[in-house]
Amino acid sequence: MSFNPHHALTTLKKVEGSLQAFPYRSVGELVRFENVGLRYGVGAETLTDVSFSIEPQSFQFLTGASGTGKTTLLRLIMQALKPTRGTVVLFGQDTSLLEKDGLTALRRRMGIVFQDFRLLDHLTTYENVALPLKVQGRDEVTYRAEVTELLNWVGLGELIHAKPPILSGGEKQRASIARALVAQPELLLADEPTGNVDPSLARRLLRLFVEMNRSGTAILIATHDLGLMDQIEGARRLVLADRRLYVEANDV
Amino acid sequence: MSENHFSRSGIFSAFSRFVPFFGRDPLVAADQVTDRSLVAVISILTFLAALTACAAQLTAATAMRWQVMMVSEVTVQLKPQAGRSIDTDIVRASDILRGTAGITSVKVLRREESAKLLEPWLGSASSIESLPIPRLIVVQIDTHQPPDLASVGKALADAVPGTSLDDHRTWTKRLGHLSNLFLIASFGALLLVVLTTGLTIVFATRGAMAGNREIIEVLHFIGADDRYIAGQFQSHFAVLGVRGGLLGGGAALLLVLTLKLSMMIPDGLQFSGLSEVPILDWRTVFVTFCVIVLVGIVAGLASRITVYRTIGMLA
Repeated sequence: MSFNPHHALTTLKKVEGSLQAFPYRSVGELVRFENVGLRYGVGAETLTDVSFSIEPQSFQFLTGASGTGKTTLLRLIMQALKPTRGTVVLFGQDTSLLEKDGLTALRRRMGIVFQDFRLLDHLTTYENVALPLKVQGRDEVTYRAEVTELLNWVGLGELIHAKPPILSGGEKQRASIARALVAQPELLLADEPTGNVDPSLARRLLRLFVEMNRSGTAILIATHDLGLMDQIEGARRLVLADRRLYVEANDV
Repeated sequence: MSENHFSRSGIFSAFSRFVPFFGRDPLVAADQVTDRSLVAVISILTFLAALTACAAQLTAATAMRWQVMMVSEVTVQLKPQAGRSIDTDIVRASDILRGTAGITSVKVLRREESAKLLEPWLGSASSIESLPIPRLIVVQIDTHQPPDLASVGKALADAVPGTSLDDHRTWTKRLGHLSNLFLIASFGALLLVVLTTGLTIVFATRGAMAGNREIIEVLHFIGADDRYIAGQFQSHFAVLGVRGGLLGGGAALLLVLTLKLSMMIPDGLQFSGLSEVPILDWRTVFVTFCVIVLVGIVAGLASRITVYRTIGMLA
């Protein structure tokens, strides 16, 4: 995938006015669920017959009332949970056949924004954001400028040495988003990424997602904020209700 | 930006690539209290292990020295016989011994010297003079070409009635057995201490990993593989193990050094018979160093095995 974060960030600064998802062309699915069901213990299924796919460079929202399984579905995609039945295919690979090394390789192609941020409290903001690159064994010299630029853009340039316990909810959210984006993932999963920020910052963060999408990253945002979804033209909506997933038609 | 935010770079970074104990960035959230307690426990265990090993080494060296001394020496005892002059007999026995090949020196103990040896049992009263005290001849033999002690004993007994030859074999055997027993006990104690160190590291690693479960999960999600995560924990606890080992081993060496110095001071702490023991020579330092290395290896292995087992469960 040709993706230049510097170009993305530069063009991002020029984006004004309406936000529009990138009109993608299908070149193979990043995610495919086929009749996936998930059951905890012996109770009824939490998710039933979930089938959908995510195309490269696509933009979609995952929505539904609280408790309908948005986070559970995201956890299935990020392989934190295994389905009770059905097939989950990630980047063309059947996850039921994956070895541990293969799983790590797949996760490196995803960026994840957790609802509760999951920043490491004993590391600085800079260290947290740079972590995905560091665990890949990259030398700090090769990514230092990149990480700093990303932090500046999300408005954390003054807080690179600060540790999460002293950051506000919004700042943690931005650090979490920056960490998910820094490795230039092909797929970004975000769980309520604007849930802790004010509307203007929410719009600013959304703009960041859109620009990342334009630069080639497929985006899946789990949210129950209808207003947020209305801000993006052309984004697909995946709606969870009654343990099933309904895919709304794309506007564009 | 010129600042290195991970505070590791250049030569140090290159060094850390090859030496896993150094230069790791602290992805494991360190619990200062737990870490200090762990270092303290390992220090104490290493201190005890090093002292045990030093004591075993000293015992082995001393027993060996005494055995060599005893093997190179035999004692001839002449009991006073009625109607015979013991002074004449002792000269005759000495002459026979001096004329035997393989004997390097013959020393006749005077009557007073023999009486002095009996002092612990009989006291130093003047009445001892009237007692028929046996006389002793101390004989040094060439250990490379020793004489046939059985035939020497027989020749002496034939020529001088009431003569017996003691080659100290019984004592040498007993000393050998005692020394071996002490060595086995020391080795067992050392093994127990090392095992305890390993188990301490296992429990500490498990506890830390359980406490850092969320961090491990996040590291997995952002693309860290098991080897990377394991490396973070393993090096953390291996460093603590080596630190504890160095502290405990250093303290043991210091104690031995103090003992050595106190023995050199006139009227200081002097132990009869220990003044010739080679305390704090290169062997003592070597044994202590071996214990420190052993503790380091056990700490590294214990944390590595625990990390890999636990990481599978947490993932």
